[in-house]
Amino acid sequence: MKKILVLMFAILVVLSFAEVKIQFWHAMGGWRIELIQGMVNDFMKANPNIKVEVQYVGSYEEILAKTVAALQAGTPPHVVQLNEISTKKMIDSGVIVPVEDMIKKDPSFDKKKLLPQVLNYYSIGGKLYSMPWNSSTPLLFYNKTMFKQAGLDPNKPPRTFSEVISYSRKLVKKDDKGNMIRTGITWPLYAWFFEQWMAEQNKLLVDNNNGRTGNPTKVMFNNEAGLKIFEFWNTLTKEGLMINTKKGDWTAARQLFISQTVGMIITSTSDVALLLSESKKQGFEIGAAYIPIPDGVQRAGVIIGGGSLWLIKQKNQAEVEAAWKLVKYLADVDPQIAWHKGTGYFPVRLDAKEKLEKEGYYKDNPLHYVAIKQLLDTIPSYATMGAVVGVFPEIRNAIDNAVEKMINGQLTPKQALEEAEREANKAIKQYF
Amino acid sequence: MRKWVPYLFILPTFLIISIFIYYPAFNSFYLSFFKVSVFGNRKMFVWFDNYIDLFSDERFVRAFSFTIVFTLVTVVVSVFLAFFIALLLNQKVPGVRLFRTFIFAPYAVSTAVAGALWGFMLNPVVGHVNYLMARLFGVQVNWITTIPYAAYAVIIAAIWKTLPFNIIFYIAGLQSIPDELVEATKLDGANVWTRTWKLTFPLLSPITYYLVIMSIISSMFQSFAIIDVMTRGGPGDYTTNIIYRIYLDGFRFSKTGPASAESVILFLIMIVVTAVYFKFGRKSVHYQ
Repeated sequence: MKKILVLMFAILVVLSFAEVKIQFWHAMGGWRIELIQGMVNDFMKANPNIKVEVQYVGSYEEILAKTVAALQAGTPPHVVQLNEISTKKMIDSGVIVPVEDMIKKDPSFDKKKLLPQVLNYYSIGGKLYSMPWNSSTPLLFYNKTMFKQAGLDPNKPPRTFSEVISYSRKLVKKDDKGNMIRTGITWPLYAWFFEQWMAEQNKLLVDNNNGRTGNPTKVMFNNEAGLKIFEFWNTLTKEGLMINTKKGDWTAARQLFISQTVGMIITSTSDVALLLSESKKQGFEIGAAYIPIPDGVQRAGVIIGGGSLWLIKQKNQAEVEAAWKLVKYLADVDPQIAWHKGTGYFPVRLDAKEKLEKEGYYKDNPLHYVAIKQLLDTIPSYATMGAVVGVFPEIRNAIDNAVEKMINGQLTPKQALEEAEREANKAIKQYF
Repeated sequence: MRKWVPYLFILPTFLIISIFIYYPAFNSFYLSFFKVSVFGNRKMFVWFDNYIDLFSDERFVRAFSFTIVFTLVTVVVSVFLAFFIALLLNQKVPGVRLFRTFIFAPYAVSTAVAGALWGFMLNPVVGHVNYLMARLFGVQVNWITTIPYAAYAVIIAAIWKTLPFNIIFYIAGLQSIPDELVEATKLDGANVWTRTWKLTFPLLSPITYYLVIMSIISSMFQSFAIIDVMTRGGPGDYTTNIIYRIYLDGFRFSKTGPASAESVILFLIMIVVTAVYFKFGRKSVHYQ
């Protein structure tokens, strides 16, 4: 009997020192795979008893689908990266450990260090559910060299919708057959931009204060503010001042800008590094500015996009603790700075930003500065905090579809807005 | 031999098919009567609500009709075109092996790559097609983002992808036609046209019969990759067919119930098409 007890004790001791294995799934392809692996390797060096398996799983949608499958199979991953529109779904799912719960137990992490705009976005009812990690906003980039050629002032990017239209008219160039060889502007056909322009006008996307004080019951964009955006989009397309991509085709939009087919692009700040290096290769100078807004409104600001890290509930609490350590590390000052420099997603922490300022980083990288300044200038309100709604992917799809029908001449801007509202409301009603 | 021995031999295959085909199929049939939460941890029995919702949803009706148009055009064009190309490739001309290799190449390419390839060729800015069209006719078309060109684009890509498979079968069939028959028709004074339609085509009817079914299946199910890569079902939902709708509802919007109902409907369509085709198609098939 004694022997057995000793043996059991010995096993317990060994087990408690054994290494914990956790899985981390992310959606950052390309050169960022290496970057993330490097950051995780540093983490493992500092925590030799934790082994992290990093996996690039594909898109955010694929991560969500595979997480669902893994949960049903009983082997969920520990840390998953999901985009902002999954927030509500994850909160309602009951399968996650809210980051706030871990912060309460861990005095070494101060959530006040996070950028207030970022903290606002990922907090619902004052509770932080996931760890902000790769945050971005939209930004206007423009081809300074082309501006000069077209007789525009390269230091005066357009600030309003009507300026975008008049600038674009000047940028248009046609060949002798009347075919367009150069035009004004592009942005990926994605409802994210529509949401940004609603926020800029300080208007909500869904009711119950953008779903932040209660479950949303309907969308709020079928109004004057929404119409302004749709009409802007429609006018640019009809006049040939804008080239539209297919749904969510960021690459095509970048291609149009890099090949100098268009003079301006509105895209994510996470494209900063890429656009800078490509424009150098193509031999043109690039500028960045806040996104243009509807005429006669006061600029309210932009909404965070990008992704955050979620902790999934586990049977073994030690694994959750290890996962929390990893998440905490990835949101720490130095990893955030490395991440920012490597991608263009901005640091989610105030102290990281201050450290970069002290280093003089923003003097050498003025475009990165514009990106973060636009966010810091944002006036906090429910509108600029962004919507929290379970059927977000469907709402975006409804808006995308309506826009595509409008620019194909099947619907007027007003009809398109009505259709988007109808489809979105139907989706909200069916949310389960 | 005991009675149960044959069953023993088919058991391994049956097990694999059960796990990967029968179980998921029955499961989606079962789930089509439920409303399921994103993580599958909450379920609600809703009778036929998913089906009723689908048929009262004009988006699904449009997806339904696009599926029919897409399938019809793809199958008819790819089968007939394959027949004529096979006739040409069956000629004894120098370099025919080289041509065959070139023409079979798309078969070796995965569907997603085919979509990406066509997406690139039809790209309004850097695509070859638009470059040529602008040079030759002075017109530019936004293939992927405008109606009706987006539909043409996916149909062209789908035909290009299914064509080589059909050609291989036709060539194999053509080579098995006995020379005596061809010579006999020549002696009887039949010209190329009559020979093709009165001799070759009827003799190849079992192959046509098989290819039509295969092409229907592939254009209904495998078109997903082409559509996803090229148009994402757009503009609007113009090029969304049922299989793409299933993907959207099931994986993008996490609505397992409606997605299951859609796959059951697609299954029923397949059953009906195959049954009708077996009943009426068989009459015009001649086996040697």
